[in-house]
Amino acid sequence: MKKGYILKRLLRSVISIIIIMLVVFTLVFALVPRDNIFFEDATYRKLGGKPDEKIDYVYNTWQKLGYLDYVKINDYCLELYEAGSDEIKNALNPDSKETADFVALYESKGYTIGYYTVSKRAYAYKDVPLLQRLWKWFSNLVRVDTIYSVQDPNNPDLERKVYFGRTPTGGLALIGSGTYHKYLLYTDSHFPFIHQNFITLNMGESYPTYQGLEALSVMFSSQGTEVKRDVTYETGETGSSAIDFGSLTYKENLDRMDKKKFTDHYANYTTFKDQSSMVGTSFTMGIFALLLAYGIGLPVGVAMARNKDGVIDKLGMLYIIFITSVPSLAYIYIFRYLGTTLFGLPSVFTTFGPSDIRSWILPIISLALPSISSLMLWIRRYVVDQMNSDYVKFAKAKGLSRKEIFRSHIFKNASIPIAHGIPSSLAGCITGAIITEAIYSVGGMGKMLPNAINQYNNTMIIALTFLFSTISVLSVLLGDIILTKVDPRISLTDKAGRS
Amino acid sequence: MMERIEDNLFEFAEFDERESEHIAAPRYSYWKSVWRTFIRSKVTVFLSIFVIALVAFALIQPMHSGYSPTVAPNINNSEMKYLPPSSEHLFGTDNIGNEVWDVVWAGARNSILVSFVSTAIIMVIGILVGAVWGFSKKMDKWMIEVYNVVSNVPYLLLAMILSYVLGAGLGSLIFVMVCIDWIYVAYFIRTQVMIIRDREYNLASKCLGTKTFTMIIKNILPYLVSVIVTYISREIPSLISYEVFLSYMGLGLGTNYASLGRTISQYKSFMTGYPHLFWIPVLVLAAIAISLYVVGQKLADATDPRTHR
Amino acid sequence: MSEIIISAKDIEVQFRVRENYLTAIRKVSLDLYTGETFAIVGESGSGKSVFTKTFTGMLESNGKITNGSIMYHGQDLTKLKTEKEWASIRGVKIATVFQDPMTSLNPIRTIGSQITEVIEKHQKLSKSEAKAQAISIMGRVGIPNAAERFDNYPFQYSGGMRQRIVIAIALSCHPEILICDEPTTALDVTIQAQIIKLIKDLQKELGFTTIYITHDLGVVANVADRVGVMYGGQIIEYGTVNEIFYDPQHPYTWALLSALPQLGVKGEDLYYITGTPPSLFNKIDGDAFAPRNPKALKIDFAKEPPFFKVSDTHYAKTWLLDPRAPKVEKPAAIQNLHEKIARMTSKGGAFHVRTE
Repeated sequence: MKKGYILKRLLRSVISIIIIMLVVFTLVFALVPRDNIFFEDATYRKLGGKPDEKIDYVYNTWQKLGYLDYVKINDYCLELYEAGSDEIKNALNPDSKETADFVALYESKGYTIGYYTVSKRAYAYKDVPLLQRLWKWFSNLVRVDTIYSVQDPNNPDLERKVYFGRTPTGGLALIGSGTYHKYLLYTDSHFPFIHQNFITLNMGESYPTYQGLEALSVMFSSQGTEVKRDVTYETGETGSSAIDFGSLTYKENLDRMDKKKFTDHYANYTTFKDQSSMVGTSFTMGIFALLLAYGIGLPVGVAMARNKDGVIDKLGMLYIIFITSVPSLAYIYIFRYLGTTLFGLPSVFTTFGPSDIRSWILPIISLALPSISSLMLWIRRYVVDQMNSDYVKFAKAKGLSRKEIFRSHIFKNASIPIAHGIPSSLAGCITGAIITEAIYSVGGMGKMLPNAINQYNNTMIIALTFLFSTISVLSVLLGDIILTKVDPRISLTDKAGRS
Repeated sequence: MMERIEDNLFEFAEFDERESEHIAAPRYSYWKSVWRTFIRSKVTVFLSIFVIALVAFALIQPMHSGYSPTVAPNINNSEMKYLPPSSEHLFGTDNIGNEVWDVVWAGARNSILVSFVSTAIIMVIGILVGAVWGFSKKMDKWMIEVYNVVSNVPYLLLAMILSYVLGAGLGSLIFVMVCIDWIYVAYFIRTQVMIIRDREYNLASKCLGTKTFTMIIKNILPYLVSVIVTYISREIPSLISYEVFLSYMGLGLGTNYASLGRTISQYKSFMTGYPHLFWIPVLVLAAIAISLYVVGQKLADATDPRTHR
Repeated sequence: MSEIIISAKDIEVQFRVRENYLTAIRKVSLDLYTGETFAIVGESGSGKSVFTKTFTGMLESNGKITNGSIMYHGQDLTKLKTEKEWASIRGVKIATVFQDPMTSLNPIRTIGSQITEVIEKHQKLSKSEAKAQAISIMGRVGIPNAAERFDNYPFQYSGGMRQRIVIAIALSCHPEILICDEPTTALDVTIQAQIIKLIKDLQKELGFTTIYITHDLGVVANVADRVGVMYGGQIIEYGTVNEIFYDPQHPYTWALLSALPQLGVKGEDLYYITGTPPSLFNKIDGDAFAPRNPKALKIDFAKEPPFFKVSDTHYAKTWLLDPRAPKVEKPAAIQNLHEKIARMTSKGGAFHVRTE
C-alpha cells in the first residue's frame, strides 16, 4: 500500500511540474514580446544595415527557439531546380509562378506570408501552438543517443556502428559513429570516473547569452579559466589544451583546425576549467551555510525555550526581530561591513577566488543568518508547545529531571517538524541565494534567473524553472516520507495522522 | 475556642435561589484586555508612538519637500555635492546634489505606501479565499494543486512580466505583489481554519444548522484575529524587503519613483568614499522595518487571549 | 497497626490569575495511614487535584503554597524547592496516575522505553535488567504478550491498556503512596471496573497507600476505606466510607448523595443542587455552601464552622452539629440508603458499598 501511495504522489508531482511548465511557457512565449530576445544579441546588432539578412536571421532564430516554423522561397525552389541554375533565379522572383504556388501552398496550410525588404522575395511562417511547443520540449528532454542520431545531409555515408576503444587520454571507452556523442561510455580521472552519454538531458540551447551552449552545460560545467595541459590528439597532433575528450559531439562543418586534431566529424567539445560550476559553487556555499544554521539555530532555539522570558530568550528574540524585519539587503551589507573592517576579510568572492578559504567565510555566514533566525523561532515554538503537554507533566511526576525530559522526550518530539523541512532546506542550497551572491559577486546559480530574465534568454528561463520546480516538488515529497519514518503515528495512507 | 455567639444566629436564613446562581468571577472584556496587555510594556508604547510618528512623517514630508527623482536642481552645482550631514543638511547631500533627507523620506514613503496597501489587499483576498478553502473539503482537493503550481512559478519571472505589461509604477507594483502573495495567505488561513473547523464547538454549530457563512464569520474569524495580526506583522516588513529587492534588481518601481531599494543600490558604490550616503538610507530602512515588526508582534501577542493575565 | 504516613496541616494554596489571587485551597488538614485507600470526592473546581499536587510539587507555575506544612518521613514537603530535592520523592515514594492515558504517554516513543526509563533512573539497573522488570510489571497489570508488545507505540494500545501501562509506570519503583487523579473518568464503563479492581489487587499485593480523587460516588463506594468530601477548597466532612454513606452530616454531603441518579424514582424529577460553586477570588465568610443550602442558618453566612466530632473517625464542618442548632433530618431520598442500595445491586446494578 505504501508503494502505491508514493507512486500516486510522484504522478501528481509530475503533473504539477507539467502544469508549472505550461504556465511558464505561456508567460515567456505568449506574454513577452518576442522581439526582446534580440536585445543582447551582438550578431543582430551587426546586421543593422542589411535588412534582408536581418529578417532571415530573426526568423531563423525564432525557428531555432521553437516559436515558429519558417520556410523561404529558396528552400521551396531548391526542391524543384538545381542550385545556381537560371530556373532558380527566375523562380525566386516575387512575381514568378513558383512564388504564387509557394504562397498558395503555405497559405492553405495556415502560414503567414512575408516579403523581404530589399529582394522582395517571399517567405512563410507559422506559429507553433503552445501545447505543441510544450510537448516538443518534453519529448526532447531525454535524449537517447543511437547510431542514427546524426542526420547530416552533407555526410550521407556516415558509418553507423558502435565499437570498443580508448580515449586519447587512455581511458576505456565504448565509441559510436553516427551517434551524437562520440564516447558513449568512458572512464577518466574525474569524478565519478565512469561517464555515460547514452542518456542525456537536453533542455535546449541558450540564447542570446552563452550562445551555442546547452542550458544544462551552462549550469553544470565548470567556470573560470581553462586548465590547459599537454594532450595528444588522435591524429598525432600535440598541443596544450583544456579539452574534455569525453564531451566530443558531432560537428557538421569542420574547419582547418578541426581537421588537424580529429580524424572524424566529432569536433565539438567543452573544456575543463578551474572553478566549480555555478551549481557546484552555490551548492557548496549552501551546504555549509545549512550546517552552520542547524548547528547554531537549533541549540540556541532550544536554550531560548528552556530559558523562556529570560535573558537568553530576550537576546534571541532581538536577533530574530532584526533579521525578520530588516531587508536582507541591508543586514548583509551591515554584516559585510563588520566582517571586512573588523576581520579584514575580502568584501567580494573574486578578490581571492574560490581556492582561498577567506573568500567563503563571509558569504556562508551571510547565507546562514536568516536560516538561523527561522530555525531558532520554530524550534523554540515547538519545544515550548511540547513543554506544556500532558505527557511532560506525567514524565515530571514519574520523577525524571528536566534535563532527562528534554533529552528523551521534548527534543525528540520537537525535531519531527524540523526533520520534515530538511529536504526543502537542501533544495534551497541548489537554487542559490540571489542577494548574497549578488553582493559578494559569487559565480553561482543565484544570478542565473534574474540575468536570464533581464536578457530574455527563454531557454535558460525554462530550464531553470524546470530544475527549480522539480527540486522543490520532490523535496516536499521527500520531506513527507521522512516524516513518516520519524513519526510512528503517521502512515502515508492514513491522512488523519496528526492534529 | 468558641466565643459567645448569639443564639438567634441559629435560625434558618432566607434562601434565595437566584443568589446561588451568581457567578462571582471578575468580568472579562476581550478588547479591554487586549488594550491592557498591549500598553503594559513601556517599550511597546514608545515604539508604537515612534512608528506612528515615523509613518506620518514619511507620508507627509515628501509632499512638501518638492523632491522628485526625475529632477536634480543641483546637478551642476559641485558645491552642493557630497556634503556630510550637518545642521543645514540633516542627512547631507548626494552625488547629484540632492538632499539625502528628501531622498530618504520620499523613498520611505513609497515603501510604506506600497507595503501597507498591498498587505491590506492581500489579507482581504487571502482571508476570504482561505476561509472558504479551509471549510470546503471539495475545494481543498483542487486548490492544493493550484497552490503547488502557483508557488513554484518563479516569482521573479511573474514580477518582471507583470511590470513589463503594466509598466512601472506604484499601482503596478502593488498589483504584482498582490498577485504573488495572496495564495500564501490563503493557504495559511486554510490551515488554521482546518484546525478549528473540526473542534467541537463548530460541530455543535453545524448540528444546529448554522449556515457556513455565519460560522465562518462568527465562530472562526474571531479566533483568527491573533494569528492574522501575527501574519500582518511579518508581511509588511517582508513586502518592504521585497520592494527593496526588486528595485535593487532593476525591476520594482522604476526610475520615476523614489525608492529606498534603488537608493541603496545607487549609493552602495560610495560606501568607502562617502559612507553617510549608504548608511543613512540603510539605517532609516532598518528603523522603520524593526519598529513596524515589533509593534505588530506585540499587538499579535495582545490579541491572543491566552496571554491575558 | 497502621500509622500515619503523611500529614498535611492547614494547607493554603493561592494562584495568581490576571492580577487577582485565587485561593484554591483554604486551610486543609489531612492525615493518611499506611495501606489505606482514601477517596477525595467533590465537584469540579473544588480543589481535589490541586491539593494532591502539593504532595509532589506539581503546582502550576502561577501557584504557591502560602501556608501550612506537609510532613512526610520527617521532611516538610512544602519546603522543597529544587528539582533535585523532589527527585527522591516523585515516582519513587509518591507516584501519580493521571486522568487521560492517551496524553500521559509520549506518542512517539515505545511503551517499553517509557517504563524502563523510570526503572533505569530510580533503581540504577542495566538496560536488560530494566527491560526484564518492565516486562514483568506489564504482565502484572494484565497486558497480554507483554514481551512482544514492549516495542509498540501508544496508539497501538487501547484506552484501557494504556491506563494499565500508566499504572505500571507509576508502580514500577514501588512507591509508598499512589495518587490516582480520576483514573477511570476517561475510560469506558466496562474498563472502569477492571482498572479499579487492578489497583485494588495491586494495593493488596504491594501494600501502598492510595489516594483516589474522583467525583464518582460509585467508585468511592467500591474502593475507599475513608472518604473526604471537598467543597470550595476545603474538606468539609471526612470519615469511614460507611459513615459518609449511611450517616452523612453536612448538607453538601446530603446533596451529593441525593444527586445519585440511581436513587431517582421513575416519573419524578431527578434531584439536583441549584447554583454553582463559589468564586474563590473573594474571601468567603462563613460556610462556603451556604448560598446553595436551603437549610442554611444565619450563622452559616457569618462565621466559618469548625469541625464537629461525630465519632473518632468521623468529623463534619457544619453548624448543624452545634448543640444550639435546630434538628434537621437527612433528606428523604438518602434515608435507608442501605436498603435502596441493596435493592439496586440485587437488580444487577454495579453499585456496591463494601461493608467490611
